[in-house]
Amino acid sequence: MATVEVRDLRKRYQDFLALDGVSLKAETGQLVTLLGPSGCGKSTTLRCLAGFLEANGGEITVDGESILGTPANRRGFGVVFQNYALFPHMTVAENIGYGLKIQKLPKSEIETRVYDAMKLVRLDGLGDRLPRAISGGQQQRVALARALVLKPKLLLLDEPLANLDARLRDEVRWLIRDLQQQSGITAFYVTHDQSEAMAMSDMVAVMKAGRVAQFATPREIYQKPTERYVADFTGEANFIPCQSVTPQGEGRYAITAAGATLELEGVPGITGPAELLLRPEALSLTAPEAGTFKGTVTKSAFLGAALHCEITLPDGSMLKLAAEPNHKVRTGEVVGIAIDNSHAWLMPEVAP
Amino acid sequence: MSEMTNTFGHQKTMNIGFGVLIVLLYVFLMAPLVMIVGASFTESLMIEFPPQGLSFRWYFEFFNRQDLVDGLLMSLRIGAVTAIVTMSVAMMAAMAGQVIAGRLSGWFQLGMTLPLLVPELLTAVGLLFFLYKIEMAKTVLGLQMGHILMSFPYAYVSIAAAMRQVPHSLEEASQSLGANGWQTFRLVILPLVMPGLAMGGIFAFINSFDLYTISLLLKPLGGNTLPLALFDFLTYEFKPTAAAAATLSILLSIAGVALVQRLVGLQRAF
Repeated sequence: MATVEVRDLRKRYQDFLALDGVSLKAETGQLVTLLGPSGCGKSTTLRCLAGFLEANGGEITVDGESILGTPANRRGFGVVFQNYALFPHMTVAENIGYGLKIQKLPKSEIETRVYDAMKLVRLDGLGDRLPRAISGGQQQRVALARALVLKPKLLLLDEPLANLDARLRDEVRWLIRDLQQQSGITAFYVTHDQSEAMAMSDMVAVMKAGRVAQFATPREIYQKPTERYVADFTGEANFIPCQSVTPQGEGRYAITAAGATLELEGVPGITGPAELLLRPEALSLTAPEAGTFKGTVTKSAFLGAALHCEITLPDGSMLKLAAEPNHKVRTGEVVGIAIDNSHAWLMPEVAP
Repeated sequence: MSEMTNTFGHQKTMNIGFGVLIVLLYVFLMAPLVMIVGASFTESLMIEFPPQGLSFRWYFEFFNRQDLVDGLLMSLRIGAVTAIVTMSVAMMAAMAGQVIAGRLSGWFQLGMTLPLLVPELLTAVGLLFFLYKIEMAKTVLGLQMGHILMSFPYAYVSIAAAMRQVPHSLEEASQSLGANGWQTFRLVILPLVMPGLAMGGIFAFINSFDLYTISLLLKPLGGNTLPLALFDFLTYEFKPTAAAAATLSILLSIAGVALVQRLVGLQRAF
């Protein structure tokens, strides 16, 4: 339906550079998530896509054609807002039918399409209610139906779950993903929640200070981050500085770190100092002599499903790991740590 | 335990204290109205309270005085035009105020309410000079302009407050659904600010109905607004006709408030 490309997008507010050359691409039917902390430019990018903001430079194309000259009301994109942005003086049905009414479609057609849309988001029978008389989750479903009923080329979602409580968040999240996949609509999704981004996206753009730090699949973002910032933002991570790095061909390295020698994959082309990324689930406890690393337990906490341990290595770096809950661990004990090599990853210490 | 009762006892005294204060406040606010309304029904020849007997003679007298009726009609006409013009201009100004950001915004708000801050007399004198310059002094249109100027801030404050209640994302949502600026205004913004807009219009009308100083300086030759006519009247005759006129004004204000209540509900207007 629509391939969307953002190239070198720039946006400046007086002395603040909100977007410093953002480039992204969404293939037809993909859901692309813009992930990052507040102020990283993810919402600004979305608002430029929607046409609410004018970019100072760069290009946005849909199916190869620039849309920068098209005003927001003629772009034909659906937008879902964090605060729902339902029209409070209109009923649920009137809200959903708003865009169709603007298109001056016949009443009977509006009625059927609104009815179908309400069914799609499971709001049957609520058509006569005012937005304030329904729950937050229902309100966001109305907003979703209101956007989808127009069969938009592109769906833009700006933190649509942020105002919902945890239980509803899950429900609405899967509804969004299902509807998006069913209808094959290309979508951009803004969030600061990494688990949301992981679970629903085809592609994730991790943003940092107005730039895209990494643009890849959720798996790559998590397992093969290009820099520490990305690794940190996508989940629990341990970093260990390397003493020596020897390239072993494309993207493979032999390293020594914290007294151990190992061979692993990493970001291609590392020349300077590097650090080892170990996700907690890549680590397990063993006998002191059997592990790759040896260290002292400094903290342990029973969390029910897992035993959370912090272990200090001889070089002073610290490892967090989730051990099997019935494992007996005492603070001060020396333990070995086994590494699942396929989940270890080498990154340059300074971002390229 | 005794301490707790003490606290509650203290709380109770406070509540009674506040109750008394509020009653006193209302008495203070309402007393003049009660007096003037009461006095308008008197049978005696003087404005007095409590009224002597009960009659409508002063109302008949009022409607038989050509000068007072002319004043009333003039005030109604000017008030109505003032309300309509200020509502539309203040609506546009409030929308502009929404868009203006940062430090400028404060200055803009200040500018819009300036007629409230400058003494009415100074505005009147300045406007009079200006009207002489453009050869419109002593015309109804000149007076009308003065009233619009003086009533504008009331309408603006009310409408701007209503505008601030409309989240910007509603406009964006409307846009993204294909509506142009005018459609967004008509279908989304206008219905949502209607209570504030109606209230603004009524404020403007009542304010215009009440203006004295600016009317005195700008009044057209041979024309009087009701306050001017009443004052002229009171200078020579201190008769309850004036109380009848005042009661009619009060009724008009109540009618305005009732209209808002009927149209949009008072809770939403304030």
